[in-house]
Amino acid sequence: MIPCKPIGKKLATLLIVFIVSIGLNNVFAAGGDIPAGKTLFMSHCAACHQVKKDATGPALMGLEDRHTWADHNDLLKWVHNPAAYMANDKYTKDLHDKFGSMMVGFPDLKLEDIDNIVAYINDAAVEKAPAGGTAEEAPQKSNSNAIIFGVISLILAIIALILMQVNSNLKKMSDDAEGIQRPHPVPFYKNKIYIAILALILFAIAGYQLSKGAIGLGHQHDYEPVQPIFYSHKVHAGINQISCLYCHGNAWESRHATIPSVNVCMNCHKAIQDYTKGPKLYDVDGNEINGTAEIAKLYDFAGFDPKKPNDWNPSMAKPIQWIKIHNLPDHVYFNHSQHVRIGKVQCQTCHGEITAMDEVKQMAPLSMGWCINCHRQTKVDFNYTDSTGNKFYSIYEKFHNDIKNHKMDSVTVKNIGGIECQKCHY
Amino acid sequence: MVAVLVSCHKVRRSPGRAYMPDMTYSRAYETYSSTDNLKKEDINYNAMPVPGAIARGDEYPYRLPNNDSGYTASANTKSPLDESKINMTEAERLYLVNCAICHGPKLDGNGPLWKGGDGPYPVAPKNFMAEDMKALPEGTMFHVATYGKGQMGSYASQLSTDQRWEVVAYIKMKQGAAAATAADTTKTK
Repeated sequence: MIPCKPIGKKLATLLIVFIVSIGLNNVFAAGGDIPAGKTLFMSHCAACHQVKKDATGPALMGLEDRHTWADHNDLLKWVHNPAAYMANDKYTKDLHDKFGSMMVGFPDLKLEDIDNIVAYINDAAVEKAPAGGTAEEAPQKSNSNAIIFGVISLILAIIALILMQVNSNLKKMSDDAEGIQRPHPVPFYKNKIYIAILALILFAIAGYQLSKGAIGLGHQHDYEPVQPIFYSHKVHAGINQISCLYCHGNAWESRHATIPSVNVCMNCHKAIQDYTKGPKLYDVDGNEINGTAEIAKLYDFAGFDPKKPNDWNPSMAKPIQWIKIHNLPDHVYFNHSQHVRIGKVQCQTCHGEITAMDEVKQMAPLSMGWCINCHRQTKVDFNYTDSTGNKFYSIYEKFHNDIKNHKMDSVTVKNIGGIECQKCHY
Repeated sequence: MVAVLVSCHKVRRSPGRAYMPDMTYSRAYETYSSTDNLKKEDINYNAMPVPGAIARGDEYPYRLPNNDSGYTASANTKSPLDESKINMTEAERLYLVNCAICHGPKLDGNGPLWKGGDGPYPVAPKNFMAEDMKALPEGTMFHVATYGKGQMGSYASQLSTDQRWEVVAYIKMKQGAAAATAADTTKTK
């Protein structure tokens, strides 16, 4: 049995290591179960507390270093009944005075729950390496196709001109060789056909540019101004799925879609103080934008100090002077509620893919032709009989009869007066 | 030609010129137009409503103050609306537009801004389907919608008094429906 002895020894050491590791595992388990602590934290604490920042209540990071909280039994007493604990304790009373609101008691929490929650807080307080590499690539390189085509056609035109000259020279040489007398050839810049063609081309280009410029006067197609704050519709309406009407609620009720006042921004940004969870932001020129700094600009307008969130006075906020992009001239009447609520037109129909735009750009020309075209093509939901229909349309008896008799299959906005002058110009 | 080519790639940062400026820019004061030049002419203009003014259509102004005593007193406030006449489709729309981003389309406190802790919002919104929220009186719910509480802001600027009561009625209806189905399932068990 001699050869077996070393194996037995090895087995024994393995066993010891195994036992020790189980023991260590147990020690860690006594420190708290982090996932269970996260669940408890989210359901009990997260409404008022954050790990790293003061919210309605103080930040919980490093709480074991404060007061007597290293003793979880003491912490449990406080959590069970904060009002009773505070009566004999100056530290918590001062906290109450500082934050101005009383903590809610959680008598159902047990000591092990407290252990788990503290374990989660300690875990979450440690800075984790950000999951990098998800950032989108910088904006695409500028499209140089148009320049290339232009240069190629220019070169081709020059080559054609040279070849024509070579051709005429060769002809002259052959004529000389054969002794045929011809009148002296006219140089190309004095050639009346060349001049006439050039004049026609110039006239066409100038006429096209002139009429295009004249039509474009007063139109702001593609307008994309720099706003006072880099507000990304992509982040708000796209990634975070905030309804357009949350901020532009009056599009449902009135002529103007309205720009939200600062207090609407602060509904969320009182709590969301930095931009960390979204993709990297770039402006159209390719410069990287610091989202957190842009939120800080909002705080300047709001008069909000992120270090003292409970002292904020909304009435001291100053309006942000956003620059209006979609602008109709004064002699045009446009009503948002009529289109959004009655016509059930989506915001994107006129404003483009707003949910994909960091900086908003005017996608539609907003010209009269563009309006009229849509009024000619858009079909009206003429149903008025059931609860979802619009009872107003019951007055169009002739159209209803025509539809019944199959004289027309649908009614467009044009049919009910959508292209009459005084609908929009009065 | 080069100028034309280059201009194709430029971001348009200027609004351009108008054909007839006097027909394009309003001479009257329009929404959002600046009133600064009134100040220059020494004309007093204040866009704020007079204290105590009641908005048009706002028949039931809310008088409880935004403090602890107001919060306590709000528990006894009853909705002035006739619940049978509330258009729940409209109330649901208001809830989905204004509340659901945090409190969740299913009223479970898990809207897209929270997403179980993965969203950008740092604190957990209240779960309307939890027992403490079911026990919350409608008046207190209205009080919180009016003035805000904790991290939540005031919704008085986005929702009229009636609209806030409608949303509260919608939440209470959903909570009641959940309780009813729960009772049904326990019965069948």
